[in-house]
Amino acid sequence: MNSKSKPSHQYFADWKGIIYNLAFFLNGLLVFLLVFEERLSIPFWMQSIGRMHPLVLHFPLVVLLLYSIWTLLVGKPESTRWNSDLADTLLLIGTFTAVIAAFSGFVLSKEEGYEADTLFWHKWLGIVISVASIVWYSTGKYLPPWKILSKIIAVSFILLLLIGGHLGGNLTHGEDFLTAPLELSSEPENKISFEEAKVYADLVQPVLKQKCYACHNAEKSKGDLQMQTKELLTKGGKNGALWDTTRADLGLLLARVHLPLDDKKHMPPRGKAQLTDEEIVLLAEWVKGGSSFEQMVSAISPQNPVYNYAQNILGGSRTEESYDFSAADPGKVKELNTTYRLIKPYSAESPALFVNFYNRAAFKSSDISDLAPLKDQIVAMDLSKMPVKDEDLKTIAQFPELRKLLLTFTDIQGRSLSELKKLTKLRELSLSGTAIKLAQVKELESIPSLKKVFIWSTDIQQEELAQLKKSRKIDFETGFRSDTVVLALNPPIIENEEQIISGNTPIKMKHQIPGTVIRYTIDGTEPDSINAPVYDKPILISKNTDLKAKAFKKGWYGSKQVDKTFLKSTYRADSVRLITEPDAKYKAKGGKSLADGVKSSAEPGSGSWLGYRETDFQSYLLFKKPVKASSVTLSMLRNVGGFIFPPVRIEVWGGSDEKSLKLLKTITPQMPDKTTSNVDDLVFEADFAPQEISCIKVIARPLAKLPAWHPGKGQKAWVFVDEVLVN
Amino acid sequence: MEKQVFDFGINTTRRHFLSKLSLGVGSAALGSLLIPDLFRGNGEPNMDDIVAGLPHFAPKAKRVIYLFQNGAPSQLDLFDYKPMLNKMHGEDLPESIRGGQRLTGMTANQAKFPLAGSVFKFAQHGKSGAWMSELLPHMSSIVDDLCIIRSLNTEAINHDPALTFFQTGAQVGNRPSMGSWLSYGLGSENQNLPGFCVLLSRGKGNGQGVYSKLWTNGFLDSVHQGVQFSSGENPVLYLNDPDGMDRAQRRKMLDKLSELNQGTFSEFGDPEITAKVQQYEMAFRMQTAVPEITDMSKEPESIVKLYGPECLVPGTYAANCLLARKLSEQGVRFVQLYHQGWDSHGGLPNEIKGQCMDVDQSSAALITDLKQRGLLDETLVIWGGEFGRTNYCQGTLTKDNYGRDHHPRAFTVWMAGGGVKPGIVYGETDEFGYNIVKDPVHVHDFHATILNQLGLDHEKLVFKHQGRRYRLTDVAGKLVKGLIA
Repeated sequence: MNSKSKPSHQYFADWKGIIYNLAFFLNGLLVFLLVFEERLSIPFWMQSIGRMHPLVLHFPLVVLLLYSIWTLLVGKPESTRWNSDLADTLLLIGTFTAVIAAFSGFVLSKEEGYEADTLFWHKWLGIVISVASIVWYSTGKYLPPWKILSKIIAVSFILLLLIGGHLGGNLTHGEDFLTAPLELSSEPENKISFEEAKVYADLVQPVLKQKCYACHNAEKSKGDLQMQTKELLTKGGKNGALWDTTRADLGLLLARVHLPLDDKKHMPPRGKAQLTDEEIVLLAEWVKGGSSFEQMVSAISPQNPVYNYAQNILGGSRTEESYDFSAADPGKVKELNTTYRLIKPYSAESPALFVNFYNRAAFKSSDISDLAPLKDQIVAMDLSKMPVKDEDLKTIAQFPELRKLLLTFTDIQGRSLSELKKLTKLRELSLSGTAIKLAQVKELESIPSLKKVFIWSTDIQQEELAQLKKSRKIDFETGFRSDTVVLALNPPIIENEEQIISGNTPIKMKHQIPGTVIRYTIDGTEPDSINAPVYDKPILISKNTDLKAKAFKKGWYGSKQVDKTFLKSTYRADSVRLITEPDAKYKAKGGKSLADGVKSSAEPGSGSWLGYRETDFQSYLLFKKPVKASSVTLSMLRNVGGFIFPPVRIEVWGGSDEKSLKLLKTITPQMPDKTTSNVDDLVFEADFAPQEISCIKVIARPLAKLPAWHPGKGQKAWVFVDEVLVN
Repeated sequence: MEKQVFDFGINTTRRHFLSKLSLGVGSAALGSLLIPDLFRGNGEPNMDDIVAGLPHFAPKAKRVIYLFQNGAPSQLDLFDYKPMLNKMHGEDLPESIRGGQRLTGMTANQAKFPLAGSVFKFAQHGKSGAWMSELLPHMSSIVDDLCIIRSLNTEAINHDPALTFFQTGAQVGNRPSMGSWLSYGLGSENQNLPGFCVLLSRGKGNGQGVYSKLWTNGFLDSVHQGVQFSSGENPVLYLNDPDGMDRAQRRKMLDKLSELNQGTFSEFGDPEITAKVQQYEMAFRMQTAVPEITDMSKEPESIVKLYGPECLVPGTYAANCLLARKLSEQGVRFVQLYHQGWDSHGGLPNEIKGQCMDVDQSSAALITDLKQRGLLDETLVIWGGEFGRTNYCQGTLTKDNYGRDHHPRAFTVWMAGGGVKPGIVYGETDEFGYNIVKDPVHVHDFHATILNQLGLDHEKLVFKHQGRRYRLTDVAGKLVKGLIA
């Protein structure tokens, strides 16, 4: 280390001289190249040197500025305080880096894509700075810094450096780079709404402005093309018109855009901000659609890609209305807020207030007039369903800032509707559900700002609506009219949940739509709208009944049929004694379940069915006092998939006690076949001559072998019973 | 050197000190102008300030009615017309289209994924020319009021996480529901009703449960919890005072109770106590406000015909739509409906017919009704499920019967009113209806857009809980400008 440090120190002893010579050489080279600039061709490897320009340019800028400032400050007599040696070194470094910056900048300027005017001045300023600084360094010995000439040179240098640097900045970042943020904040974004936007003015032109105007404007007009106005665009440039829809590539504009980026003729030139894919599609669609300057965005089909582009560009603007009044005193707003009257600003920052009223019963006219202190801030009032009278309209008309007023289903008759003409800013007015008339509404057309009026469900007749629809200015919302609409009613509802009717429990039905007529039958036929009895009072039944009902009403189609089977139970057995035990899985609550008066759901596992498979179902029903019976009903279940079949045979025995029973009736139920529905309630009624009975015995025998079509063919079937009723 | 240090020491006077100090303080003061939150301690905004600053900007919509179709309706049979599926009916879904999409446990073991074309006819409707299925004649008639988004996508593939994601912005539970966020951010318009109401109904199709965690207030104050209305004749139970107690006595009782509660509150400081007091007060006011709203008998016949006759049968979807309109009209900030029964894994054509019968007329009626009252522009109505259904068949495919599994990658939801663009179709899926090819809308984006319509910046509506600030959109979400009018 030590051995080497000495010669290297000597080698660098005159490093200033070496640098000076090198700088001198490079300046010579630069001037030489300048002279032969026209014939110059930059080899590709030198492009990298050019691109080092932004890397080096800041050194000379700062260093030469420092030296110039030093020169300005330095005083006579020159003393050690002024560090002349250091200053000399500064100038040398500045000179050297300046020439490197100038040289690389010169190489870079040969690349495409820089704005010509600015580049011209920047290039020459850079070269002047470089050459001048080496001259300054060379003559420094003869020109002491405290001389007035030195000061002048220093000031000139500062100016040259600042101007040159600024132009360079403009070249890279664009001319308004520095000032853009200021302009943006001072000029609020005035976004146009989707409905009012034009394809050219609001979509195409902004793209051209951003990406093309920089070179194609009145000052530059590269290729003799200017793009700022409709006329200039249509005129085209030196290569002809910009578009030609008869060509596959749609003409010059899009052809240039679609050229590869490396192509010299690609637009915008390499190095400039490029068009996005969406913007290219936009331009192409616009040209394809005839490059109209007047077409509205809302007129294009939603399938057109421009429509979506427009949605993304124009949508989402928070076009908040700006109001020319100042906010109300928040204390006053708070004071006037009640549980039934909400007053709120639209947003935390907004001076505009809206008012909503609630609770019809609590409303007084003074609730509106009390708001007078806020009349200059209230822009919307919702009085829907409040008992607002015609007289109140006069009060409402004192709120000059109102834009939206909802009087839906209020009590106004419309007599003083013309009062509202004072509301010169009113845009939206709802009169739906009020008794207003055509003539009264027509008067409102004189409100210049009025855009939308809601007149659904008013006294205005259907024929009269046509007159209003003629109005160009106001959009009348007439809403839904039911006169011509005929729908089917929904079926009536049978209110009794319990299917077993004991005693005199009436059967009740209802329908929610007022004015509906329910017609029903109990004989198994379908109820019709003419002959079937009308349900007007609860129905009392004396035997098992299949109730079918439908609803009818004028202006509606009849409903679907609803039906329900009711089982009559006149005598409840005092006790039930099972002779055979049910299967352990389905034993419910034993015999009690058979006489509990509750019909089970069709779910076999619901826990209220008695199931038999291995043995017959056999049970006694016992009465303490003899009853005069004429029928016994068994409520059973069919669930074909669950192997639950009707019994093959039912026997009903009766007598005064267990020992004196007589066979009263035998039933052989119909067996299901393949086509029978899977699950159903089964009701078997055994009727016999009326007689006094104290003891009834019921037997039901399960099917021994399931039929061949059944998946469980040959196996035993189940019988399920949940209720035995005596009438 | 030591001397220099010494000289420096004795030459620094108070004047030097003060002038340097003023410069230092001055620079800090200037800097602080650029960092407005600097002196707010931890840069943490006060929670009260957050709410006081709401809404952030003037809202387009004041209220939301969310018609949630629980179980996920098949977009391919209702909104997203894909004739390619009919052409390739029965052929296998190309692997390149599925692109590694995970499957549910229900179809993961299927050997084939045969494409299933819809058996229902589609036609274009309205000025917008949107394709709609024959199952939805009423919605088709108002298609120019709808903003149909065909490109919604979610992250979850099963009902519970997907539902929870849609309702709370997170797949795990216990985050506040969207309605709670709005109640927290904007409060209730009507002091006599809850700000967030929930109405349930179920169709006959294969159903999936709904549960109270979907309308939870999470870590927000419990006054923001969704209030579930019961589906029976009396949507709110026990509104009447018991026999022998009049309003004045009830008032006195509540005042005394509130006094006791205040005492307990000053002792323990549990905010749930004040929430409770507020809830009692609300219940007291609801005693008069609710009967007026739930009484359907005064609705004119034209309304019954508009919503369909079922709208007077309590507990049906149609009745809930009508009730939703009445609640919203009375200033309820967020009305959330759930209609169950859309989970058609098998026998879809039959099930979906029934479901559409339930919802088509009354959903469309709600839009028409709000419109004719002048309320549609300030009410945002949303219709959709938690995800979509697959383009391939689950189970056995026949010519006219199929089932569809869950599909999170692309599905359809529509909005209407509330400052969204009417009569547009946003987003696009590929010709198989499987992937989104244009303008995807993620659930977070969807939430951000809804909040925007209500005047809320989704990045600023926050609540600090357990040391972290939470948002409905978590750390994601992008406003979908193309949906906004």
